[in-house]
Amino acid sequence: MQRTIGRDVGLIIIVAIVYLAASMLIENQYYQLMLTLVPVWAILGISWNVFSGYSGLVSFGHASFFGLGAYTVTLLMVKLNVSPWFGIPVGMVVGGLAGALIGWPTFRLRGHYFALAMLAYPLALLYIFEWAGYQEVSLPMKRESPAAFMQFKDYRWYVGIALAMLVVAMAISLKIERSRFGLSLLAIKQNEPAAEAAGINTLAWKMRAIMVSGAIAAAVGGFYAVVLLIVTPPSVFGMLTSAQALIVTLFGGVATVWGPVIGAAILIPLAEILHAELGDKIPGIQGVVFGLAIVLVILLAPEGIVPHIREALRKRREAALGGGATSVTASVLMEPAMAGHANRTVSTEVVLKVEGISRAFGGLKAVEDVSFDVHKGEVLGIIGPNGAGKTTLFNLLNGFLPPHAGRVMWRNENLIGLRPNEICRRGIGRTFQVVRPFARMTVLQNVVVGAFVAEGDDDKAIALAIEALARVGMSERVTALAGGLTNAELRLMELARALASRPQLLLLDETLAGLGSQEVERMLAVIDGLAKNGSTIVIIEHTMQAMVRLADRFVVLDHGRMLAQGKPEAVTKDPAVIEAYLGKRWMKHAQH
Amino acid sequence: MMQFTRQVGMGRNVAAALVAVGLAIAAPAALGQAREVKVGLIAPLSGPWARQGELMLKGAQMAIEDINNGGGIKSMQGAKLRLVTADAGDSTEKAKNAAQRFVASEPDMIGATGSWLSSFTLAVTEVTERAEMSILTLSYSDQITARGFKYVFQTSPTAGAQSVGAMPAIVELGRAATGQQLRTIAIVGDNTASPVSFLKPMREGGLEKMGIKLTVDEIFTPPLSDATSMVQKVRSIRPEAVLFVPTNTSDSKLILEKMNEMGLGRGRIPMIGNGAPLGMPELLKSVGKDLMEGMLVIVANWTQKGQEKLIADFKKRTGEPWMTQDSLSSYGDMWIFKEALEKTGVADRKKIADAIRTMDTKSGPANFYPGGRIKFNDDGRRAGAGIMIIQWQNGEPVTVYPTDIALAKPIWPKK
Repeated sequence: MQRTIGRDVGLIIIVAIVYLAASMLIENQYYQLMLTLVPVWAILGISWNVFSGYSGLVSFGHASFFGLGAYTVTLLMVKLNVSPWFGIPVGMVVGGLAGALIGWPTFRLRGHYFALAMLAYPLALLYIFEWAGYQEVSLPMKRESPAAFMQFKDYRWYVGIALAMLVVAMAISLKIERSRFGLSLLAIKQNEPAAEAAGINTLAWKMRAIMVSGAIAAAVGGFYAVVLLIVTPPSVFGMLTSAQALIVTLFGGVATVWGPVIGAAILIPLAEILHAELGDKIPGIQGVVFGLAIVLVILLAPEGIVPHIREALRKRREAALGGGATSVTASVLMEPAMAGHANRTVSTEVVLKVEGISRAFGGLKAVEDVSFDVHKGEVLGIIGPNGAGKTTLFNLLNGFLPPHAGRVMWRNENLIGLRPNEICRRGIGRTFQVVRPFARMTVLQNVVVGAFVAEGDDDKAIALAIEALARVGMSERVTALAGGLTNAELRLMELARALASRPQLLLLDETLAGLGSQEVERMLAVIDGLAKNGSTIVIIEHTMQAMVRLADRFVVLDHGRMLAQGKPEAVTKDPAVIEAYLGKRWMKHAQH
Repeated sequence: MMQFTRQVGMGRNVAAALVAVGLAIAAPAALGQAREVKVGLIAPLSGPWARQGELMLKGAQMAIEDINNGGGIKSMQGAKLRLVTADAGDSTEKAKNAAQRFVASEPDMIGATGSWLSSFTLAVTEVTERAEMSILTLSYSDQITARGFKYVFQTSPTAGAQSVGAMPAIVELGRAATGQQLRTIAIVGDNTASPVSFLKPMREGGLEKMGIKLTVDEIFTPPLSDATSMVQKVRSIRPEAVLFVPTNTSDSKLILEKMNEMGLGRGRIPMIGNGAPLGMPELLKSVGKDLMEGMLVIVANWTQKGQEKLIADFKKRTGEPWMTQDSLSSYGDMWIFKEALEKTGVADRKKIADAIRTMDTKSGPANFYPGGRIKFNDDGRRAGAGIMIIQWQNGEPVTVYPTDIALAKPIWPKK
């Protein structure tokens, strides 16, 4: 995302010009029609990719937008004599609006439920258009001024228009991929809660994506109607249309700009050649061969062709370089600084006030009537045995769960009812007990996602992310893929992601869990460093030993209730706390 | 598919070659004459409509064999016809591609028949019209010939004409069989597009004008889970006939089973369905001979009196149990092209189209269509194209209307 899109658009235009030049040499109208259909399906693939490829929300229903575009163009021409030159832009507006109308209710669903719900829209539209009497609508032939109605005797015009649309669609796709738009969608794809907690307004980005995607699909649907000259509900709203978008993209490569284009450039001619060569000899065999080709590619290159080639090229390049030069895995351990709270300045100003907050899951009271204050500049440790309700408390504080009672006051504003990204925007960052990385993104990209909240400009966001990584000592790992990090590195990266949003309050959920003793020291030093620089931190932990060194104050939870709060020395001597941790039997040992 | 060319023996080939060489030396002018004339068939040979496409293909192939065995095109020194087929597949896009392929890769093709489904035919003709190639079609949609196109010729009555013509035909058939005027009728059908548009003119005054009362009106949303209440209603009210227009075979079967169970089957109440799929040989297996017995079906073309030899021939050569309208019309379409070729004497698309446009004959190809006349109006619709009614009798649908060309008398209960 650091690169601008200029160079790539240049490449796209060159390829398009070569393609157009080749089509100019061809006289055969049938081949010209094929040359038109390849970009058509490539554009629909791009439209699908812009939404589903990046966001991971699989849409089986892109035919809705395609068909609405086709019918908008057709009906405008049939009923109002409006030329497709205007009809297609109108169709794009319709497609975008349809995206909003479909997205708004459907984004409540996730995973398979979302995919299935999307499947329902084109099916419903198909019947609606049949019921409305638009079973077969043909675009009237304009014998006078055909060009004004996008009707050309020379099919090369269609190739040209299709290519122009393809270049625009690819440029949009590139722009999205290289900006916070695409990165936010990728973050959503890999871990939606983490993206939300990192301040990404997931709903807003998803809405934008489906609207852009809907507009592109509608544009190409409108053009398809112009090429085919006859529109029927099954041909534009049918399952095959949605499937075509998926197939060319999966074949070429999901979440890549060139994927749908390569997919369409191979599959559409292949299907047609099979159809032409075998269709009249062994009818039906073309479908079998086509299916087998797809199955083979999916087996051999499950990511699609473009990523497969990219990977192969990368390997070859690495082999040429002598191999292994890139990975320096050993993390440079920071000198474990003397952690401690002696030299911290804690003010008495209350930044966060938790008042009587409660949450039950059925009969289980996970958090019950918990109240405490967080002072500016302090490190507040929330401790308690497993199952005490610590993580639930965090989920209540940062908006993942709504409480059943109580309120959370942050600078005179009640946070209850706000979505996690809104709370993040107000300056509260968090990490997770189970690390939630965006595994297929680099360390830098992971952290940049967090920086978007603080910086509206992409370049500044990157600078901020690099700075945050430096603060946690991860500068050397910026280009590594998050999926290959060690547990300690993941925790540091997640911390950097939280830091990149410039939070005034950090909620750290069991940041030390699963770390070795050296790694604990390193982490403690980092957290201590943050506190010294004036960050306010609330940290969950159940290992008392580390916490005593780190925290200024403790809040102790047990079975959802607050057991004690106060200075570490006092709390650790509290008999109730000892009992909660060790059981009654150990009481007398502990007193010595 | 062109086995007949392969059957020609080696010796004959050599002889033909010698003759050709001789001709080339003797009469160079004859070289310009095509020895083979290409005609096309664009039909769904794969996908959900593959069976219909197959039936069309069988009809066309048989016509080509008959024409060639009968001496080919006489005005062109016995030039043979060659059938080129293209699979229209399962989508309008594939149908259009197939047409485009024909137009581009077979510049010497004189015309084609196709493409069964109306929307396929609409897409195909958008291409062929621009290429000025003739298309003969049995597709019903009114739109096919409502676009001002000059190169499409519809041999069937349009869907609109069928739904207007259906009721008078049924009344006439009923009167011929019973001597009485039909007074009450029931509608049993689903709410999909084609039955709805078929029934529209009848509901909007068509029945009333003919003095027929609609006593049962049962419309369901497919698929049907139980037909009991619907059939019970028909049994208690006892209309004199039932317009039977479900779209799915499974729904049809369910209703027919229930009718049979309640003693209304086997033509005890005449049931009139719509569309050639109700005359498909497959129904023998999927629904069964007994349930289909007595069912009347409105079609655009079917085998008629005088075609007995053709029917027997078709059965023998293809193994099909009877000749449907798909086979019959594509058989006839080839003969229309032959007739046009005889007139023009050259394989030229535009001239062939002109010849079809000006054709007016009551013999030759006219024998393969109801009305017995080949003349196309300016819009491309065949003059006098009317509906036919067939009836399932003893496990075979036979023509019962129009009476003058019927192959059997209708089974219609007398009161």
